Amino acid sequence: MSQPTTLQEAAALASEIEQRLNQVLIGQQQVVREVLIALIAGGHVLIEGVPGLGKTLLVRSLGKVLELDFNRIQFTPDLMPTDVTGHAMYDQKTEQFRIRRGPAFTQLLLADEINRAPAKTQAALLEVMQERQITIEGKAFSLKEPYMVLATQNPLDQEGTYPLPEAELDRFLFKVMIDYPDHGDETRLVNMVLDGTIRASLDVESLTPATDGAGLMAIRTLSDSVLIDGEVLDYALRIVRTTRDFSGLSHGASPRASIALARAGRVQALVEGRDFVTPDDIQQVARPVLRHRIQLSADAEIEGQTPETVLGRLLEQVEAPRQ
Amino acid sequence: MELEKASARLAPRSPWQAVDLGTQMFRRWAWPTVRIWLAFTLLPFVLLLAYASMLESWWPLVLFWWFKPMWERPLLAWYSHALFAEELTLKTLFKRWKQYALPGLFAQLTWRRLSPSRSFNTAIWQLEGARGDQVSQRHQVLHRAPSNRAGMLTLVLFHIEQFMGYGLLALFYTLVPWQFNLELSDWFFEQSVLQTAIASSCLYLVLCITEPLYVACGFALYLNKRTWLEGWDLQLGLTRIGKRRKPNGIAAALLIGMLALPFSEPATAVDHRVEDMHAEQQQIIELLAGEDYMPFETRTQREWKDQDNDEGEEASWWEAFWKAFFDRANDNTSTNSKPFSIPDNLIWAVFWALFAGIVLWLLMKVASQVGFTGRTRKQNHVIPTHVAGLDIRQQSLPDDINAAVENALHDTDIRTAMSLLLRVSLATLLREYPVALAAGSTEQHCLRTLQRQHGKAPGIEVLQPVVNAWVRTAWAHRPVSADEVRELLAQWQAVRFVEVPNG
Repeated sequence: MSQPTTLQEAAALASEIEQRLNQVLIGQQQVVREVLIALIAGGHVLIEGVPGLGKTLLVRSLGKVLELDFNRIQFTPDLMPTDVTGHAMYDQKTEQFRIRRGPAFTQLLLADEINRAPAKTQAALLEVMQERQITIEGKAFSLKEPYMVLATQNPLDQEGTYPLPEAELDRFLFKVMIDYPDHGDETRLVNMVLDGTIRASLDVESLTPATDGAGLMAIRTLSDSVLIDGEVLDYALRIVRTTRDFSGLSHGASPRASIALARAGRVQALVEGRDFVTPDDIQQVARPVLRHRIQLSADAEIEGQTPETVLGRLLEQVEAPRQ
Repeated sequence: MELEKASARLAPRSPWQAVDLGTQMFRRWAWPTVRIWLAFTLLPFVLLLAYASMLESWWPLVLFWWFKPMWERPLLAWYSHALFAEELTLKTLFKRWKQYALPGLFAQLTWRRLSPSRSFNTAIWQLEGARGDQVSQRHQVLHRAPSNRAGMLTLVLFHIEQFMGYGLLALFYTLVPWQFNLELSDWFFEQSVLQTAIASSCLYLVLCITEPLYVACGFALYLNKRTWLEGWDLQLGLTRIGKRRKPNGIAAALLIGMLALPFSEPATAVDHRVEDMHAEQQQIIELLAGEDYMPFETRTQREWKDQDNDEGEEASWWEAFWKAFFDRANDNTSTNSKPFSIPDNLIWAVFWALFAGIVLWLLMKVASQVGFTGRTRKQNHVIPTHVAGLDIRQQSLPDDINAAVENALHDTDIRTAMSLLLRVSLATLLREYPVALAAGSTEQHCLRTLQRQHGKAPGIEVLQPVVNAWVRTAWAHRPVSADEVRELLAQWQAVRFVEVPNG
């Protein structure tokens, strides 16, 4: 498959990928956009939403459109780290230890309900996310790029879960909130299933690849050349720094968030078809970058505020940059 | 009644010290009283429980609860004798049941059932044998201020009873093997026969402890009140003095007079001479019930703390104001004589106004939290002065926009020209279509807000290319050409839907 060589081609290809995904995932344009940005930026995504909104379909579609390997792990309380990464087993025929690779050896990994597994298993996966390699019996195995973990959480059924620690949440580039489609989109979805345009099951056979892993890596490389003005970069930093001393927040975002915000802002500009970042791009990606990196103060929680409302207030108060 | 035989020291106590005495009594006689409780109530409870199970209804068990005054009578009879060194047997209690259980029982099971002072009042019927008007008179006398706190005792023990009941139920729940897969919420909300039986049994077991305690405390409060009113401690002292000396006529007469005070059931058992002095007894009851007997007056007065210590120091005007305020508010007799007086009514009016204000404020806060704001208020947006750091105040803009743009273009300062064009566009548009913009609003956000709220008005349509050109100039460092700037300016002026300053 042809690979983009210019920013315009990369933007067109990204737009094509987005369009194809939206054909399958009805009424989740914002989710598709954010996941695509995270994928191009080389980050991982934590998706929060109730079951039945198409999280698995999204990952399968991504795999199909980008010709990437796909695996899914259902996290449960008895899941062991080796169930994720793999382990060495003794082969009696060859009388040698053989490495059995776990489901983490893939390119798109859906870690379903990650907070249902104990911290030890979560940590094993998060190490994979950070290092992009898996060590079994002292031997390191590099993972094939592009590599992305899409972990999901259910916001409702929290009993018997192991909430991800702050340090581990920080490893996710975006936290994406997936919500019910609006009335019009849901009507369209039901009609499409009823008239046979799409199947109710997770059928992605109708999708055709827009590019492959190499194409995606080319888009990622080109996104690095998107211009970000000093004032815009300063604006991103001011947003992140304000979270550390803002009413309603007990803990702000780390410097990793500043890097993530700038990186995501660049990709957002590329997807929008621009070769430069505007303050608006930073605002667009600020919420998914920051919502899992901040911690509400007790007062704010008692008042019924959410990370969304506090971030909304913060973005209103941080002055937009001027030229 | 021979007070000197009392196994507790009869002395005037505070109500809570009296309750302590009752607790001590229960601790000392816990087993006999629990046994009496079980002897009188176990069979009725089991029968009612069985009946409740048959009916699959709570009503028979409510009946058991309703008859609590009746179950308490044997306990009080036992305590009243045990305190004076006579421990009645179960057989005796059963035999005498009619004597002590029936007086006033009908009233206690009907209109007086929910009286919070039950533990205290039972003694009036049961121990004094009061009837008819006598009961009211005795109530008046014994319930005089200061309060005997019998109502508070009932309230406290009611809560203890509930906590212990639920605690026992929870303990039972924790001991049920997990294989039964017992769900606590189901346990409370889906009452099967078995669950009703277990819950009722738990409550009955708790009553085995709390009922003897409740009766003992009520009895102790009753004894305490009579000690206060009738000077039993003095009587005992006189008796002791009388025993040390040779009894003379006056002391004997005084002793007889005091012993004749109403406490009829044990008294008849002790001294037959009391019967002969019924007239004097009646006279004493009337005297105690009279208005003039130990008149109590409740007065509420506000005073400054450490008033005496501050006399030497000169008070500030603020302190003087409040002192005058309260002094006059307290002194109703001088209301008319002092010009600064504020009557109690006014204080109450201020208090209620403040209270109503706080409640209203809380309601409004809650309403705003849940998103209810009543009538939609007309939004009067203030015209913003800055957008994305650009000053769009009228006075900051040049008088002749054309000339200013041309000058900037002449100096090849495209950025300044574009900045001017954007500022004047925003200034005029926002004056015409005010929208709420925050400090963090970007140029594109401003454009989107205008488009969302005011559609595609001609001016807003022209604003879009201006914003795009400005964004490219400002953030991509790729200024548009001078001709493009002139074209945008021309488009802008062609719309002419609002006045351009001197343009």
